[in-house]
Amino acid sequence: MSTPISASLSLEEGAAHLTALLRDSARMDDFPLPLQELWQAQAAQAHLQQLFTELRHKEDWKYTPVDFFRLPWALGQVELLGPSSFESALAPAERVAPSETLPALSSFPTPASPWEALVMGASLRAHYRVSKQGHVSWNFAGKGGLTTQLLTVSLEPHAEGEVWLNPQGEGFMIVRVHLHLSFGAQARLYLPTYLKAPNTYLYIILSAEQEAESRLEGYDLTAAVSWKRLEVKVRLRGKGAVAHLLGAARVGLGESMDYAIRVEHAAPHTESNQLFKSLVYPEGRSTFQGRIFVHRQAQKTNAYQSHKALLWDRKAVAYSRPQLEIFADDVRCTHGVTTGFMEGEILTYLRTRGIPEAQARQLLAQAFLEEVIGRVPHEGLQEAARRWIEA
Amino acid sequence: MLSIRDLHVEVEGRPILKGLTLEVRAGEVHALMGPNGAGKSTLAAVLAGREGYEVTGGEILFEGKNLLELSPEERSYAGLFLAFQYPVEIPGVSMVQFLRAALNAHRAAAGLDPIEPPDLMRHLREKAALLKLDPSFLSRSVNEGFSGGERKKAEIFQMAVLNPKLAILDETDSGLDIDALRIVSDAVNALRSPERAFLLITHYYRILQHVKPDFVHILAGGRIVRSGGPELALELEEKGYEQLIGA
Repeated sequence: MSTPISASLSLEEGAAHLTALLRDSARMDDFPLPLQELWQAQAAQAHLQQLFTELRHKEDWKYTPVDFFRLPWALGQVELLGPSSFESALAPAERVAPSETLPALSSFPTPASPWEALVMGASLRAHYRVSKQGHVSWNFAGKGGLTTQLLTVSLEPHAEGEVWLNPQGEGFMIVRVHLHLSFGAQARLYLPTYLKAPNTYLYIILSAEQEAESRLEGYDLTAAVSWKRLEVKVRLRGKGAVAHLLGAARVGLGESMDYAIRVEHAAPHTESNQLFKSLVYPEGRSTFQGRIFVHRQAQKTNAYQSHKALLWDRKAVAYSRPQLEIFADDVRCTHGVTTGFMEGEILTYLRTRGIPEAQARQLLAQAFLEEVIGRVPHEGLQEAARRWIEA
Repeated sequence: MLSIRDLHVEVEGRPILKGLTLEVRAGEVHALMGPNGAGKSTLAAVLAGREGYEVTGGEILFEGKNLLELSPEERSYAGLFLAFQYPVEIPGVSMVQFLRAALNAHRAAAGLDPIEPPDLMRHLREKAALLKLDPSFLSRSVNEGFSGGERKKAEIFQMAVLNPKLAILDETDSGLDIDALRIVSDAVNALRSPERAFLLITHYYRILQHVKPDFVHILAGGRIVRSGGPELALELEEKGYEQLIGA
């Protein structure tokens, strides 16, 4: 199956080869080790440079600062940590050999991007299966530079699962997550990010395939990270599948938070909801690109999308780009985007009641993000998120 | 308590108040009436410390202190309260959160510890009852989705909670139906005391039938052109501004 790899393979050849391998076998185990080594040692650095050049011309990266790609990134190490402070009531999920979950990943209808190839050479990979009930506690710490990891979770019919993606550490961490929800499966995905280390960059690429009657809930809570991009691609391919994606971000001084969300309705009677809110401090930057794509056959789709940005003052920046592509005629799709400053009128009103401006702003900031935080079905995480906003 | 002397105020370079003088003592209720554009709301805004108003002359003393040197929050701590003509919505902030923050800021300014939650709730419920407000009102976001009448009641409720020395009611009676007007008037009357003064800014005589003023002033062209007792409001009601002051 696997052809021997020459160490003199060019970057492009390496990527093509890797992609072909994935398509053919979809078995990570078949990878010849030399390729991974080659990939890690040689290609990653050059890859980033190439990506930097390419991405600046890509529409969905247009508003995202990517200058840090050009830093001389060394390949770092990523390790799995013990359970986080966020405990799950569910038992740990079963860790399985990659070949048992990878077909789901390789069938995902995204073109093999350079990113995918980079992540395929990930130093840390794991595959889980949830048969009835189970949770995956993925607490990781990157250090020493650029790290990549790959996590796939497969939920069997009617299974109930929780996935915690809890980053620690530093550097440029690229995390590729794929979820497969079989018929009637339910998954909750928690993405808390609170990284106080300076110059920490987190790129999460999440894809989810949902069969009929499955339900996915995703909760992103972000504060104190230099740069974060959450890319989500959800495909509702079975009748009655439901996806709810929520996010609340506190984008601090000089930070950048980027949501790139795509929900694809590929079957009738599917439902999706995107609710994202970004509170942007001076010299912070928020980007939201949300897309709802409704296929011709996805009649009776119910889709909702909302992004709200609240800007601290005129030195804060927010870009919002809601997109709807609808090819079915009997659907309900609504979307709304608002971007506004903390209003002088409201601040004055609060001050006339004795509340000093700093406190008035804090009150408005908390109230703004509470709409999302209040819906997170985990009290401990709710409390943590409220503390992060105050910080 | 409040001494306004020869006050001149401009908005975007346009003179609005042109030498307004007014003296309000503790325990008194003053009604300030006048045609549209006379400068009534400008006066309220300047007293509360809202932005966008430039004082070009005169002075305002509140209990002997130069009011114009105080920030809006300091004016509040000093005992001044403005019931807004158009109260803003504060999405996501409940009335309880809002008033807890306000009360505790007042307490901190006075060197007191934050209020205990049970005491806070008792205090708020008691004042809500004064305005005949449903207790659920306390957990709703401030003014969000409130009707015009509810907003006005909410302003008077806040006044009752914060217990000011001087309350300025900027057209609080506008937009109230008869029942709401009675509730608001009763609350104001209940809060009248020898230590507290009111300045009622209004277009209409009807609130003055419920809340009897000690003095009535007519503001026109940026200054007070006539002052008198309650009978002046009645005279105004009968004759109108044009006949009374030639405005």
